[in-house]
Amino acid sequence: MGSVYRLTLRQLTGRWRLLIMTALAAMPVIIAVLMLRSAEAASVEDFELVVLSGMLAGSIAPLVVLAIAAAAFANELEDRTLANLTLAPIRRWQIVVPKLLATITVAGPFIAASAFLTAHFAFLGDTTATIAITLSAIVGVALYASAFVWLGLVAPYAVGFGLLYIVLWEGFFSGFVEGVRMLSIRHYAIALMHGLDARRFAEHEHLSLGVTAVVVALVFAGFLLLSVRRLRRMDVP
Amino acid sequence: MSGGAPPVIRVDGVSRWFGSVVAVSDVTFDVVPGITGLLGPNGAGKTTLLRMMTGLAAASSGTVTVMGQPVRDNPPLYGRFGVMSEHETVYGFMTGREFVRMMGRLRRVAALEDAVTRAIDLVDLAEAQHRPMDTYSRGMRQRMRLAATLVHDPEILILDEPLNGADPRQRVHFKHLLQRLAAEGRTIVLSSHILEEVEEVADTVLLIVNGKLAASGGFRAIRAALNQRPYHVRVLCDDPRALAAAAVRLPSVDAVHLDPDGAVIVLSRNVLDVQVELPRLAQAGSIRLRRVEPLDDSLESVFGYLVER
Repeated sequence: MGSVYRLTLRQLTGRWRLLIMTALAAMPVIIAVLMLRSAEAASVEDFELVVLSGMLAGSIAPLVVLAIAAAAFANELEDRTLANLTLAPIRRWQIVVPKLLATITVAGPFIAASAFLTAHFAFLGDTTATIAITLSAIVGVALYASAFVWLGLVAPYAVGFGLLYIVLWEGFFSGFVEGVRMLSIRHYAIALMHGLDARRFAEHEHLSLGVTAVVVALVFAGFLLLSVRRLRRMDVP
Repeated sequence: MSGGAPPVIRVDGVSRWFGSVVAVSDVTFDVVPGITGLLGPNGAGKTTLLRMMTGLAAASSGTVTVMGQPVRDNPPLYGRFGVMSEHETVYGFMTGREFVRMMGRLRRVAALEDAVTRAIDLVDLAEAQHRPMDTYSRGMRQRMRLAATLVHDPEILILDEPLNGADPRQRVHFKHLLQRLAAEGRTIVLSSHILEEVEEVADTVLLIVNGKLAASGGFRAIRAALNQRPYHVRVLCDDPRALAAAAVRLPSVDAVHLDPDGAVIVLSRNVLDVQVELPRLAQAGSIRLRRVEPLDDSLESVFGYLVER
């Protein structure tokens, strides 16, 4: 698995991709600093709604992860180099898991750093809130990565479909449709944040910490299994 | 085609279609150790067939087994394969040696560095092994891909258009390498649309035309099997008009014409009979034959006939 992991890391760390990710990850931090300097301080609820849920969990994290995860398989499919891996005597999960881990390795630090700095500035160094937000962001990255790696295997235009998903599902419908909210990675991350720091954010109205943890594990494992299944059944170019 | 030896690869009634397009249609053959050439024009279905033989693609119907096991979704079997696809894309950011090493590691090669060195030496690319592959010429990339295919010393080699981009010296080197590997008991399937490549090295030929197996066997066996095919025989003699007039009356001759250079061109579907009858006619007419040669004994002509049929 180490060979596939190292190969994928090298494939995913192009200079332009890293620059774009850095710019995206810096945006919530800049907003937090600007809000801090503004004369009229935002409430915790407003900050959560606009910056943490709307921007970080609903836009920046999925965009950064999409840029990385979709390429984990899509580039190899496009270049027709995937056969180098699928013709090796290794099980399909031994290809999918390292590619997913590499995706998280590349995207995770950007989002984690962005979440950490945003929380640090917004909540004036409150350790519990900072840890809750950072951990939730990392979990969000893992979930988005699992979903988008699968998308990169099933959809020929994974980035396009991913953008539609981010804008329509995570950004639009999950904002006001109750049922969709229960199937939204953005809301799982926010529910986790509530559960980890109930003092500041209060208990989430729909998902307790325990339920969130189970749902998160199921969603992550579900997309992972779907990716393995897809790789077993697909025709490799 | 198995000749008594158990087949290494068995393709049994395999078809593959993409929507309404039939890429491969009900193809059956066995592959035994030695070099088997898979020959056909571009778009004939060779690559689709090879992809099914390596498990990369599923058959719509029929089965492919390798060493008695189904090849599809069977990773343990893939360690016995060396597959070089027609696509020339490489990981350009890697050096050649890194690429071969990675392929060896994925195939769990023991004494990896020795194996990598040996594979790179086999393709004569030691001097370029530490350069990134995006600096390689097309031929060098192909050779390094071949090294990666050979690094785990596979029993079965499946090579799809391996000589794309190779210069004449590299072709000779490759031909000798393949013959050596085959002599060591390996099973090699070599696909090409360039007839000379296959004709020079293959013990057995599989001709794929329009997704169907048009013919299989040794090159001359294929020729013998194509008994409906008209043959052109060029005859040089001291009285071409007399010979042409006599030859046209033979039952085995379909047509005769005279070339501007004075040669008699005989068209026949029974060349064996022509070979016997022509000297007799010449002797009877006191005609002196200077040369009798088939015009289309190359694989190219057989191939062209099958494509046009």
